[in-house]
Amino acid sequence: MAALRSSSARVLAAASRPAFRPVVAARGMANLADGATHSNHASDGQSPKLKTFQIYRWNPDTPTEKPRMQSYTLDLNKTGPMVLDALVRIKNELDPTLTFRRSCREGICGSCAMNINGTNTLACLCRIPADNSAEMKIYPLPHTYVVKDLVPDLTLFYKQYKSIKPYLQRDTPSPDGKEYRQSKADRKKLDGLYECILCACCSTSCPSYWWNSEEYLGPAILLQSYRWLADSRDERHAQRKDALNNSMSLYRCHTILNCTRTCPKGLNPGLAIANIKKELAF
Amino acid sequence: MASVARSSALLKQVAAKQSVAASGLRVAAFHTTSRKSLLPPLPQHIEGTGTHNDSTATLVPCPLTYLLPLVNDPVQVPPTSPSHGSYHWTFDRVVAAGLVPLTVAPFAAGSLNPTMDAILAATILIHSHTGFGNIIVDYIPSKRVPKARKLFTWGLNAATVLVGLALYEFETTDVGLTETIKRVWKA
Repeated sequence: MAALRSSSARVLAAASRPAFRPVVAARGMANLADGATHSNHASDGQSPKLKTFQIYRWNPDTPTEKPRMQSYTLDLNKTGPMVLDALVRIKNELDPTLTFRRSCREGICGSCAMNINGTNTLACLCRIPADNSAEMKIYPLPHTYVVKDLVPDLTLFYKQYKSIKPYLQRDTPSPDGKEYRQSKADRKKLDGLYECILCACCSTSCPSYWWNSEEYLGPAILLQSYRWLADSRDERHAQRKDALNNSMSLYRCHTILNCTRTCPKGLNPGLAIANIKKELAF
Repeated sequence: MASVARSSALLKQVAAKQSVAASGLRVAAFHTTSRKSLLPPLPQHIEGTGTHNDSTATLVPCPLTYLLPLVNDPVQVPPTSPSHGSYHWTFDRVVAAGLVPLTVAPFAAGSLNPTMDAILAATILIHSHTGFGNIIVDYIPSKRVPKARKLFTWGLNAATVLVGLALYEFETTDVGLTETIKRVWKA
């Protein structure tokens, strides 16, 4: 199941990371030239730190073939510290048919969201645990339709995002004809909301969203809903609330909080949903 | 995790044709327990992309196409109904919060007087009714299995009325809820 890793494990893992890694391990993205020159002899003087990655494979060109787990073994001494580095290296050097989305490699685009060792997270923000030799299992986001390998189909997710009108709606012009001003306190209300990058890690970890994704909006979209409900400059609060006030859109949230546990940006969609419920209740 | 083994129909609509036959085998590889297909995942359908084996639909110019939702259009926003939304939710919380003092009171007072006992029984009944109602809304989607949904909703209503009548009978002609629990506890 997704997102069952305890937060204490996460804290311990962070604490056990060495503050300074050897220069060899801190190497960046792999490229073909490096791999070709170094892959045959274990990196100079160091014993190879082998790690096996089991990756979900499914090819739409052969749709009747069963999806399978394919194993790739890398030497961590020659790979960057993050799972995305390993994936890029596998694609460059071992298997160019491996398919995944990636763009910014620094946790701001949300492309590389996938299920790594049972937790939805961004591959670029997820370290390869170097302290043990256990295999890493990498799946696409759970309960999504798969386009190919690690690429999920997020069309419905984006259609739902569009349905909440994620833009400023107001009729009255600003008093001085310049920008719409906001007090510092009002601006502070948006902290923890505007940072969401819509990677869909939280929505696809939510059992309620698994069962009712056609009608329930899911934590990511509801967090964005609250981002506009909390905005002092927006003038359509009543309409925004009315759009959520039915049995399915908002109230299928049962405070399971997988969303908060899994969010790779450390946001709290559960709190945002609770705030929407409070605003609607009274 | 059954779902990761589903294939996208958006890009490769061909996949949908064979997926029904292959889905059983495909998922079995990722399960150690036997597969219970109560509501198996359907082939993907996205509004605006046409149906699965209807690949000619996009080629035929049709005025109706402009009225139908397209792939970049937002999903439909359901009509506002506070009685199924915010009122329902607030009512749920009020009932649940009200149950706390009603459950603690008998421990403090030894037993409840008949009126309070009847209120406790009625609150428990309402609480269970809305709770089971939530389970039905969650797991029996009205879009997919409308008849089963109707059956279960009315089954729940019937059960609630039956239990309500039984509790009324019990409260009026017998010793009441808290007194019964007390006696059973000490028996």
